[in-house]
Amino acid sequence: METKAQATEPAAQESVQAAVQKKTAVKIVAFVCNWCTYAGADLAGTSRMQYRPNVRVVRLTCTGRIDPLFLIKAFENGADGVIVSGCHPGDCHYVAGNYHARRRWVFFKSLLDFVGIDERRVFFSWVSASEANKWAKLVDEAVETVTGLGPYTQYKMLTDTRRAWEPEMPWSEAWAPGIPEGVPLPEPTPLDLAVRAKAKEILETGKAKVVIGYAWAKRQRRAVPVFVADPAETDSLIFNALCVNNLTNYLTRHAKDVKALGRPAVFVKGCDARNLVVLQQESQVRREDVTVIGVPCNGVVYRPETWQGHLTPETLSPKCAGCEVREPRNCDETVVGEVHPLPAEGMSPIDSKIAEMDAQPSQVRWNFWMEQFDRCIKCYACRQVCPLCYCERCITEKNQPQWIDTSAHPEGNLSWNLIRAIHLAGRCTFCGECDRACPVNIPLNLINRKLGLVAKEAYGYAAGMDPGSLPPMIVFKPDDKENFIR
Amino acid sequence: MARIGVFVCQCGNNIAAEVRTAEVAEKLKDVPGVVHAEDARFYCSNPGQEQIRKMIKEHNLDGLIVSACSPHMHEKTFRKAAETAGLNPFRVEIANIREHCSWVHHDPTKDLGTEKAGDIARMMVERVKRDRPLSKIKIPVTKRALVIGGGVAGIQAALDIADGGREVVLVEREPSIGGHMAQLSETFPTMDCSQCILTPKMVEAYQHPNIRLVTYAEVEKVDGYIGNFTVTIRKKAKSIVEENCTECGECIDKCPIKATSQFEMGMTKRKAMYIPFPQAVPGVPVIDRNACPKYVKDMSKCGLCAKVCGPQCIDFDQQDTFETVNVGAIVVATGYDVMPAENFPEFSGGKSKDVITGLHFERLASASGPTGGEIKRPSDGKVPETVVFIECSGSRDERRGVSYCSAICCMYSAKHAMLYKHKAHHGQAYIFYMDIRCGGKRYEEFHRRAVEQEGAIYLRGRVSRVYPRDGRLVVQGADTLVGSQVEIEADMVVLATAVVPRLGSKDLAQRLGIGYDQYGFYNEYHPKLKPVETVTGGIFLSGACIGPMDVPTAVAQGSAVAAKVLGLFSNDEMAREPIVAEVNRTTCNACWDCLVACPYKAIEREAIKNRQGEVLRYVARVNEGVCMGCGVCVAACHSKTIDLKGYSDAQVYAALAAV
Ligand SMILES: Cc1cc2nc3c(=O)[nH]c(=O)nc-3n(C[C@H](O)[C@H](O)[C@H](O)COP(=O)(O)OP(=O)(O)OC[C@H]3O[C@@H](n4cnc5c(N)ncnc54)[C@H](O)[C@@H]3O)c2cc1C
Ligand code: SF4
Ligand code: SF4
Ligand code: SF4
Ligand code: SF4
Repeated sequence: METKAQATEPAAQESVQAAVQKKTAVKIVAFVCNWCTYAGADLAGTSRMQYRPNVRVVRLTCTGRIDPLFLIKAFENGADGVIVSGCHPGDCHYVAGNYHARRRWVFFKSLLDFVGIDERRVFFSWVSASEANKWAKLVDEAVETVTGLGPYTQYKMLTDTRRAWEPEMPWSEAWAPGIPEGVPLPEPTPLDLAVRAKAKEILETGKAKVVIGYAWAKRQRRAVPVFVADPAETDSLIFNALCVNNLTNYLTRHAKDVKALGRPAVFVKGCDARNLVVLQQESQVRREDVTVIGVPCNGVVYRPETWQGHLTPETLSPKCAGCEVREPRNCDETVVGEVHPLPAEGMSPIDSKIAEMDAQPSQVRWNFWMEQFDRCIKCYACRQVCPLCYCERCITEKNQPQWIDTSAHPEGNLSWNLIRAIHLAGRCTFCGECDRACPVNIPLNLINRKLGLVAKEAYGYAAGMDPGSLPPMIVFKPDDKENFIR
Repeated sequence: MARIGVFVCQCGNNIAAEVRTAEVAEKLKDVPGVVHAEDARFYCSNPGQEQIRKMIKEHNLDGLIVSACSPHMHEKTFRKAAETAGLNPFRVEIANIREHCSWVHHDPTKDLGTEKAGDIARMMVERVKRDRPLSKIKIPVTKRALVIGGGVAGIQAALDIADGGREVVLVEREPSIGGHMAQLSETFPTMDCSQCILTPKMVEAYQHPNIRLVTYAEVEKVDGYIGNFTVTIRKKAKSIVEENCTECGECIDKCPIKATSQFEMGMTKRKAMYIPFPQAVPGVPVIDRNACPKYVKDMSKCGLCAKVCGPQCIDFDQQDTFETVNVGAIVVATGYDVMPAENFPEFSGGKSKDVITGLHFERLASASGPTGGEIKRPSDGKVPETVVFIECSGSRDERRGVSYCSAICCMYSAKHAMLYKHKAHHGQAYIFYMDIRCGGKRYEEFHRRAVEQEGAIYLRGRVSRVYPRDGRLVVQGADTLVGSQVEIEADMVVLATAVVPRLGSKDLAQRLGIGYDQYGFYNEYHPKLKPVETVTGGIFLSGACIGPMDVPTAVAQGSAVAAKVLGLFSNDEMAREPIVAEVNRTTCNACWDCLVACPYKAIEREAIKNRQGEVLRYVARVNEGVCMGCGVCVAACHSKTIDLKGYSDAQVYAALAAV
């Protein structure tokens, strides 16, 4: 910050004007609350403090009103840096808006960083109505830092270049999973028999009218979801490492159809059971309306096409390494089966990949993700298989305003993937369905898992473990950590 | 197509010095939707507003931007002006080109200011295009008030509201109203007897046709919103059928059990069947269930009180009861506590009976107190020859207590020194102080009197230690003015302990949905401009629950709050700003994220039913009376089903696109 006297000194004047004349002046968008920071900025005016002119203020009611996605929109509209600021903790005009904001920022900041959006372009701050000084300093610092980094050409390139989409992966093959030709269908295992017996018992005793489980597909030799209402047909049921689908998806997206068949019972693996807990927390499934049957799971395959009749460390889905819920929790019924102890090795491949990426410069992460997102065709398969993406109308379908560019082009692809990630932060149970369903093999589980780790580190929260808890993004504690806020 | 007018104010030279306003106006004409743009010297002046009104009519404007000072200055002015010209006030936005532009950037060429002012105005044009015309929300008002806490602040509020013709329910936690003022002996700076001026007010409140006292009761639950609160009151079991009691006091006389009197600061006993003090209002006694053998010894013998009670109103089996009242406004007047002497072991607090707090001293000096108004020390009843008063015990000292000044201790310590001198003529009072703060009317004179006429010795400095020696108390401290250590042998030490929030004040705040500071004092809406309002509409504050204060201020606040409440009650309906959230019922998932996140519990579950009345599904519904328009829910909702009027997603996006 400079005083007016300093600003009128020739040198200072020159630099400001030089910046204006050169069209290179960076643009900073500031999202501020009406009561503290906006008033603080007013006071800076009343006190005639001098600061850099590059900031454009968007006045909102409260930091709690600031959707993290506004920041993405700001970048899409050519901002080179963003300031987000509101009342100090305890001072919120609306009692707790800033506490909510603070949690959202924790997740969003980690997400931005993880996809390689330079953290140094985003400034979180508390500026009270009396901290005119702090406001002026904040703006000056932001302008200086961002000027040092230069215009955000990286993002602008996304916006400018509508690159033609070119598939790089043999994605069509991913859609032909199954047991390779020549490998015979396995004999029913003791687990298969146990699953059948349980289903039969449930239908016969009237505990449920329809059982949602897995069976061999008629032609292709792979496991597919089936609905069995007749106790005689329970003989078709199986459970093995090819049973990848998360069947809880049928309880939300297809709730109406399922309801028409009568009370459902559903087979769940440990990770699927966690989804049910989230659905219960969010009032999407009434737990008393469904019978949940847990099956012990020793892991499923990642790519069914690699299946050789049994699971090997190479064919095991990375999400299963380090799994803590091989025996599902919160179930009504359980199928008895063997659970092999976890291999003693350290981090799961996903976590070690995250650690590796975190250690890289943000530019490397940006390049990695841009390459990945570039392939996205906006098929929304990730959303369709996700039990937690149950929205009546997804944000992608909202056009007043248009949150996401509907065409498959890099800018919209990035915002779509960021939006879905932030919507799942603290809720995703790493069932890995989106990752599996993505026809162009975008490693979506990496992002979801990253934000899961944030939830764990920052708030000691693991999604889908405790039906009595609430997801970390809708609650707060007044003393939540905030070391990243100026 | 929008028909927007842009008015660029020069604000004399305040804006014009840095911004070529005419050029900004000219350039804004190119923005689609802008049909008129101009500049002038002062739009906030009457001719300026008239010009705006004229242009609204002439150009048939449906939205306008005033590029001028901060919206915090004149948004209301311009919205009102527009309204009188027939334009919806919520189609008016302010582009802040003074505080956020001309005053903070200096460039002799004016290029910089002109460019930025243009940008700001353009953002606002895009925003105003998406401003929906809104109308104020009308809410019915229940014209009855709840006052929580019957100290002098609460009593004053209740009396003034009642005199204004509105009903009041006054809820007091203790068996009697009166609060701390009932404990005081005489009051600074006029030295009138506290009981003598308070008791008539207590009786007036009791007998007022518009006031209903509910004593020995607490607020259990608060639902609803401004004008429409539903409050559940827990009435603790008095073990007496209140309606039948004639307040004769026979039962108290007969009760054989003694218990510590909190009112007398533990310096004497009262009965298990008791009224806290003789002038208690109401005079209906209660049974202390922690003392009465009927309860502590599991319904064993005794029952003497029941035998003597003429109207037979003693009911040992009485349970707590609950009552719901509907009120339109709530006044919180729950007062304060003082830090106990036990908090100061270095001053022998809690160890020596003769180390007491100011409130103890009030009781010793009170004619109705345990010593009949004579200053006798608690340990042996001896009249102390030397008394040391230690100010700022725990105040202005984050390490030992609180960082704030307790505001009243300088005054009451001077008062105590005087009272002591009047009652024990040969006694000597010493007062250790940090600074003397006597800012009130006639307060400094009062303090001078203590020094000059009553011979109190003031020592500037802190006390490091108080310890007993041969039946007396040795006070070791520093006299910083002389620059030496002092040691005084005293017979009694009075600690002016810090004024602190009521125990459980945070709990009550959470039940009410109001804010509090780090200590637990309640937050005013604005410390200067809205000192008796809270951020929650319809809930007001008065008295020492806001912070330490003296009786005159507490009474003034009681009256101030009454004016606010009567103002609120002066209309059958109240109008409020329509900046509230709204739900798109077709896309709501009923996930209740918004409901959990809303700081005001403004979101409800609404059942959507078919013709047969079966519930098809639930959706979120915003209670417009409760919603404060923060928008926390909006950012919480994944599917963007909920939006904030006046600050919609579409508006923010449009503004961003114009950056
Ligand atoms: C030692 C001492 C001497 C003083 N001397 C003077 C003096 O000489 N002159 C002067 O002007 N001021 C003096 N004061 C200050 C004076 O006591 C206060 O200004 C005054 O009592 C404040 O009144 P109040 O109604 O705000 O609070 P209080 O008097 O504390 O009354 C609050 C009432 O609310 C009730 N309550 C609390 N919580 C609840 C609840 N949850 N539900 C229902 N009811 C509840 C309490 O029981 C109490 O009746 C002195 C203070 C002290 C400590
Ligand atoms: S991406 Fe978000 S809005 Fe879309 S379905 Fe998933 S949670 Fe809902
Ligand atoms: S499944 Fe893959 S390609 Fe399809 S929308 Fe999701 S990320 Fe994009
Ligand atoms: S958060 Fe959105 S979808 Fe969920 S209940 Fe609220 S309005 Fe409905
Ligand atoms: S805007 Fe704020 S007060 Fe209103 S419903 Fe939403 S969260 Fe609650």
